[in-house]
Amino acid sequence: MWMNVIVSAIVLVLAVLAFFFYDAISFRQDLIRNLRTSAQIVGTNTITALMFDDQQSAEMTLEALSSSPDVVAASLVTNDGTTFAEYERSTSAPVPRPREMDAGKIDEDWVTGSQVLLAHRIVFQGKPVGTVYIAAQLTETGRRERQYLVIAFGVLLICMAAGVLISATARRLVARPLIALAETARRVSRERDYSVRADPHPDGDEVAVLVEAFNEMLVQIQERDTALNRGREELETRVEERTAALRAANRELEAFSYMVAHDLRGPLDAMQGMIYLLETIEQDGGGRDRAALLEQMRQGMLGMTSLIDDLLHLSRASTAPLKKERVSLTGIVKGIADDLKRGAKERRVEFMIAQVPAVEADEGLMRVALDNLLRNAWKYTSRHDTACIEFGAINRRGETLYYVRDDGAGFDPRLSDQIFQPFHRLHSRSEFPGTGIGLATVQRILTRHGGRIWAEGGVEKGATFWFTLGSTTAA
Amino acid sequence: MSAIGAVLLLAAFLSVIQPAGWAQRPSRDDVQAAYLYNFGKFVRWPSADRGTIVVCVAGEDPFGKTVARLVDGEEIEGRPLAERNVDSPNGVEGCSILYVGAAVQGREDSYLAAAAGKPILTVGEGPQFLEQGGMIQFLLVGDHVRFSVNLEALNRNRVAVSSELLKVAVTVTGNAGIGGPK
Repeated sequence: MWMNVIVSAIVLVLAVLAFFFYDAISFRQDLIRNLRTSAQIVGTNTITALMFDDQQSAEMTLEALSSSPDVVAASLVTNDGTTFAEYERSTSAPVPRPREMDAGKIDEDWVTGSQVLLAHRIVFQGKPVGTVYIAAQLTETGRRERQYLVIAFGVLLICMAAGVLISATARRLVARPLIALAETARRVSRERDYSVRADPHPDGDEVAVLVEAFNEMLVQIQERDTALNRGREELETRVEERTAALRAANRELEAFSYMVAHDLRGPLDAMQGMIYLLETIEQDGGGRDRAALLEQMRQGMLGMTSLIDDLLHLSRASTAPLKKERVSLTGIVKGIADDLKRGAKERRVEFMIAQVPAVEADEGLMRVALDNLLRNAWKYTSRHDTACIEFGAINRRGETLYYVRDDGAGFDPRLSDQIFQPFHRLHSRSEFPGTGIGLATVQRILTRHGGRIWAEGGVEKGATFWFTLGSTTAA
Repeated sequence: MSAIGAVLLLAAFLSVIQPAGWAQRPSRDDVQAAYLYNFGKFVRWPSADRGTIVVCVAGEDPFGKTVARLVDGEEIEGRPLAERNVDSPNGVEGCSILYVGAAVQGREDSYLAAAAGKPILTVGEGPQFLEQGGMIQFLLVGDHVRFSVNLEALNRNRVAVSSELLKVAVTVTGNAGIGGPK
C-alpha cells in the first residue's frame, strides 16, 4: 500500500511542478504583454510631447504607470538617445540604462532574473519619434509563485492523506473481504471440503451479497457432492448385490448341472437298462419280472416328473410376478393338512394349526411354500408312529414370525444353512425321498415377499422352520 | 550589422529636426521650421484637398529657405510639401500653412485678414499674434521652443487640429479653452 502512496505522491509532485512552471512562465508572459500594452499607450500619448518638446506632458503620461504595481521605472528617449522624460516609483529603484534595440524591431524585452526591461519604439506616420523604456520588477510574480507552491504542497499533502484514507477504507471495505473470500474458495478447492463456508460480511453491501451467494453456491456443491457419494455407494451396493446374485445363480447353475447329470440322467440310464432287460425277459417269457421292471420304470419316470415339477416350481418362484392379495395362511395350511391325511389315512399325525391373521401375499406362491414345508414335515415324521405337526405365528420385537414344526427326524443343526441350497440333500434318497429343491423354492418365495426363513433342529429332535413375510401384514 | 543599421537609422531620423550633417544643437529657426512641418501632421484639412501642402512664408524671409530645405521631398499622408514666399496678403490663396514672421512685423493683421475664412493654418511669432487672430504662436520657454494655440481662431476658420497637439501647447485660448498656463 505504501508503494502506491509513494507513486501517487511522486506523480502529484510532478504534476504540481509542471503546472507551476507553466503558470510561472505564462504569468510572466502575461505580465510582459501587459507592460508592452502600457508602453504602446504611453508611446501614443507622448508623440506630440516628444515632437514639440513638452517634457511636462511626457512626464505626466509616464506617471500613469504608477498604477502598474510591477513597474519600477520608465523613461522616454529621443531619437538621438537623450532621455527626454523619466519616471521612477521610488528613489531607491534606479532607472535602468536604456539598451540598444535591434534595428527594425518595434518592441523588445530583456529579462534578467526577476527584472524586465521593455523597449517600445514610438512611430508616427511611418517615422520613429522616440523610444519608451519600462523597467519592471516581477515581485508580484515571485510572491504569486511562492503562494502557488505553498498551496500546491498543501493540496498535495491533503491529497496524499485523502489517498491513504481512501486506500485504507477501500482495503477494509472491499479488498480484504474479497481476498478472504478468495482464500475460502481456494481452501475449498484444495481440501475438497465442501462444508466450509465464508464468513458472512457485516455491512449489507455488495460484498455481503457476494459472500452470501458464494455460500449458497457451496451449499449446492456440498449437496451435489453428498448426492454423488451416495449415488456411488448405492451403485457399489447394487453392484455387490448383483455380483452376489450372479454368484448364487452360478452356483445354482452348477448344482443344476450336477442334478441333471445325476438325478435326471441316472433314472434315464436305469430305464434304458430296464428296457434292455425287458427285451431279454420277453424272450425268456418271464411275466412277473416284466411287471416288476415296468413298475420300476414307472417309478423312475414319476421321479423325473416330480423333479421337473419341482424345478418348474422353483423357476416360477423366482420369476413369476407377485400378485398380492389377502391370503389366509391358516386356510391354506388346513387344506394341505387335509390332503395329506386323506392321502395316507393310516398315519397317526396330529395337526395343531393356529389361526393367524390374513396377510398380503401371492396366494399361489404361498401355497407352494406351505405345501413344501408341510410335506417335508409329513415326510420326516414318517418313521415315527405318531407325529405332531404345528403351524402358527408369534410376535417378536414387532415382527410376525411364522413357524412349521415337526417332531420328526430333524437334521444336524450345523448344516442349517445348507438345507436351503438347491439340490443339497442332507439325507440320502433311500432314507427320505425328495428332490432337494423344495426348501430352495420356499426360500425363494419368501425372499420375494421380503421375508426370510431359517431352521432350528437337532438330529431326531424334530425341526422348526421359522419364516417372516417382511413387513407385509394386511391392514 | 544591427549596430550600423541603428546608427544609419538614427542619422536618417535626426535629419527630421536637423539638416543633414548637422551635429550641434539645432537653431531656433530650425526647430520652428520642424514644428511648422510637424504641425501639418496634426491638421485636418478639408478632404477635398488632395494636392500639395503649401507652406507659405510671408515676406522676404530667409526663414523660408530653412523651411524649403526641410520640407523638400517630404510628404504628409501621401501629399507632397512645398514652400513658397508670399509677398503680399493677396498671395495667401492656395496656402495650407501661412507663417507670419518678423519679416512682416506690423503687417500681420493684413495677412491674417487675407487668410480669414480660408482653411489656412496661421502660425506666427509676434507676442500679440493670437490676439490678432492667429492660430498658433511660437514661444520661447527657457531655451525650449514652445507654442500656444488660439482655439477660437481655429474654429472660426474651420481648421481642425488634433487634441494631441493642443495637449502640448503652453496655453490654449478660445471658446473651448482647455488647460491654461502651465
